[in-house]
Amino acid sequence: MDKKTEIAKREDQNIEKTRELYEIAPAVDIYENEDEILLYADMPGVVKDEISVNIDNGRLALSGVRKLETNGVTTWEEFANVEFVRNFSVPQTIDVGKVKAELKNGVLALHLPKSEEAKPRQVEIKTA
Amino acid sequence: MFTRFSDIDRLFGTMDVLRRRLDNLYTDYNRPYGAGWPLEEGFLRANLYQSGDTFEMRLEVPGMDKESLDIKIQGNYLEISGTRDQKLPEGYKIHKTERVAGTFSRSFTLPDDVDSARVEATLKDGIIYLTLPKSEAAKPRQISIS
Repeated sequence: MDKKTEIAKREDQNIEKTRELYEIAPAVDIYENEDEILLYADMPGVVKDEISVNIDNGRLALSGVRKLETNGVTTWEEFANVEFVRNFSVPQTIDVGKVKAELKNGVLALHLPKSEEAKPRQVEIKTA
Repeated sequence: MFTRFSDIDRLFGTMDVLRRRLDNLYTDYNRPYGAGWPLEEGFLRANLYQSGDTFEMRLEVPGMDKESLDIKIQGNYLEISGTRDQKLPEGYKIHKTERVAGTFSRSFTLPDDVDSARVEATLKDGIIYLTLPKSEAAKPRQISIS
C-alpha cells in the first residue's frame, strides 16, 4: 500500500473492531563476522510456533506474537499481549537457504550465513 | 467528542503507522535506533493478578536462566534481583546492542501478606510465573448473612 494512503485513509465504514494486538519493536543485538550475521531479539513470552521470520528480496521481517493467558483480576499490568515486529534490510549476499533460528528463554537467535561468494578471500601476492 | 471506539482506534492506528515510519527513518539514516524514538522501555516489567486467595505475578526476563535469578519474599515484600550478562560472541563485530545487560533489582509491595513457604516460581520462555498464596490472615472470608 502506498505510504500516504496508509496514513491518510479514512475507512468508509466505521466498523467496530475487536481489540488488535499492539505492535512493539523488540530490542535486538546484531553481530557480524566473516561467515555470518548474528541477530538476537528479546521476545519474552513468545512460543516457537508464534514466530515468523521472513526474508524476501533483501528484507528481513521478524514477527512474534505473545499470547499469555491471564486469570484473576488485574492489579497492575505493565506488559500485555503484543506482537513483536521489526524489519531489517539485509544484504543480498545472505544464503537464505541456510538461515538458522533458535528460540531460548524468550530470546530469538538468528544466524544469517553469508553465501560463499560473499566471504572475504585472502589474496596471495606473488613475487614477480 | 468521540462517540465510537472505532474513531479512537483509528486515531491510535494512525499514530502507530506514523511511529513506525519514524522508526524506519532513524535506521535509514544510520542513527542508532534508540536515539530519537525510544524502544519500548523497561526491563523486568511485571504484571500482578489476584484471584481469591492467590496472587499471580509475571515478570519479563528474556534470556535469563534460573541460576542467575534471585527471588526473596518476606510478608508482603517481594524482591527480585539478578544479573543478565551479555555474552559477546567471540570474533564478531558489533553492529547494534540494544538489549539491556547488567545487574538489576526490583522490589514490590504486594497488597497482602503472602505465605512464603508455598510460593512457587517457574521460568518459561523468558517469563517468570510466580504463584503467591495469600497468608491465612489475609485470605478472604465468606460472610453469611443472617
